[in-house]
Amino acid sequence: MAQRGWRTKRGRKALAAVVYAVLGRGLVASARLDERVRGEVRSWPDGAVVTLRIAPFGPQVSWRVSGGVLTYLGGAEAPADLLVTFKSVDDAIPLLLGMQGVLAAFAEHRATVRGDLALAMSLVRCLHIVEGYLFPDIMTRRILPHPAERRASHATAYVFLLFRTASLEGAAS
Amino acid sequence: MIPDYYEFCNSAKIVSGSKAIEHIGYELAALGASKPLVLTNKQLLELKVATVVLDALKDTEAEVVAVYDDVPVDSSVAVVNDVARVYRETGADAIVAVGGGSVLDTAKGATIVLTHGAEDLMEYRGAESLVGRRAIAFIAIPTTAGTGSEVTSAAVIKDTERHVKMGFTSLSLLPDVAILDPRMTTGLPPRLTASTAMDALTHAVESFSCVQANPLSDCYARSAIDLIREYLPKVMADSKDPKTRLALANAALLAGAAFSNAMVGIVHAMGHATGGVAGVPHGDAMAILLPHGMAYNLGCAGDRYGELLLNLAGAEAYAATPAAERGTAAIAAVRAMMMSLHESAGLPLTLAEAGVLPEQVPDIAKAALNDGAMSMNPRQPTYEELVEILKGAL
Repeated sequence: MAQRGWRTKRGRKALAAVVYAVLGRGLVASARLDERVRGEVRSWPDGAVVTLRIAPFGPQVSWRVSGGVLTYLGGAEAPADLLVTFKSVDDAIPLLLGMQGVLAAFAEHRATVRGDLALAMSLVRCLHIVEGYLFPDIMTRRILPHPAERRASHATAYVFLLFRTASLEGAAS
Repeated sequence: MIPDYYEFCNSAKIVSGSKAIEHIGYELAALGASKPLVLTNKQLLELKVATVVLDALKDTEAEVVAVYDDVPVDSSVAVVNDVARVYRETGADAIVAVGGGSVLDTAKGATIVLTHGAEDLMEYRGAESLVGRRAIAFIAIPTTAGTGSEVTSAAVIKDTERHVKMGFTSLSLLPDVAILDPRMTTGLPPRLTASTAMDALTHAVESFSCVQANPLSDCYARSAIDLIREYLPKVMADSKDPKTRLALANAALLAGAAFSNAMVGIVHAMGHATGGVAGVPHGDAMAILLPHGMAYNLGCAGDRYGELLLNLAGAEAYAATPAAERGTAAIAAVRAMMMSLHESAGLPLTLAEAGVLPEQVPDIAKAALNDGAMSMNPRQPTYEELVEILKGAL
């Protein structure tokens, strides 16, 4: 019987695109909610575009930092200053679904990095914080280097993610 | 222990032994090259170290098209671009790099420029992002026994205008051939020998205990430590003995291959930062910080350090130490090695002795946290923890 849904490569790519959208908005929401993420983002070069993508044809998610403020660019093509590329969708899925940590994914050569490695380290720290908001403790205990410390509840984070970043996108466009 | 997934590549041909450099003509011909550009520095020419290679090249069918000896202590973008320019202008078809980490990293940078036609080397920074075969034959001849750069897929190049150190890792940076000849290192002063050997030891210990460690890199790391334990004291006692020098050069190469595949961790992250902020030579920083980094990791990597006690202290010490105490004993073995090198060569024991000021600690901690090596450490420190470790090493 033919496989369907997320078991197919197309399905897994669609799933990755959905998680990218959540992660994309989640990072922006975290930058509003959490001073640790804000601090990291402020250290990024002004105008820098950071992209996570899956080789060879996507999906991808990008952010731009401008004046210390992060903007979600969705899957739009933009020349990236820091480009993290997963070698295949199967390398990205465990990370995107919270089954594998970001550092473990790098350790297992699942992604390549083009750009400043110090900026990549800062992005990793941000993603750790975002994962703390997006995933329950039962998952983060396994994938984060330290227990998740949240400055706001999961519910608040999701409200920011769903509504506040959406309004930001509207303003940006 | 076997990881869920790992990768390993050590494609460089190793040519090791007395008069190994005399094979350089054959190795160039085997690579299809006949017009090498020799890359080195003035000091190595004055000390007649690089001339051993040039003399060997005279007696071959190859024609040296240029000797580039302007490589500074820290490889820089400007020098990399200049080397690439000379390579193009002279019609060279190979690079023979004779020197320490800086010369070898400059050669690696030049191969990026020449292969990818890079206008700005900055565009190629990153990890594993350079793909495609290198277009240039590349032979590496190390003149120190420490960095292992002759078999690593990594390079660090400074952008002096933008004041940033750019890191590159790619399999395309691996030299085609690495030649180890004792004539390259017999003239190294004891202080530099000790410092670079501790760099090699740190490569081996960290690669064995970091998150990318795998069965193949473990073999290299253990062999490197065995050679360092056995031959470093002998080299310190008689620096002119070619056999012991060659053994130490092999140790550095093995440790380099180990860390090129398993990476390094907190000690290197702190060491890079200490070098950047306070100018402490890399080997000295490694020697000082290794036991402190191991102590920090002991809770999660203690068993791995315990395994290394066999290599660090020998079979009798390993057998006489209860399993639960072997990790701590491994750290003690490293400290004992350091103390011995302090007494015989004046290696500094603390960061303060190396010239680090207490007020520089916050900047070092901040830089260490952003260093790529930190991501491979088995335990991720916070900024505050790093400050404490560094204060402990002060």
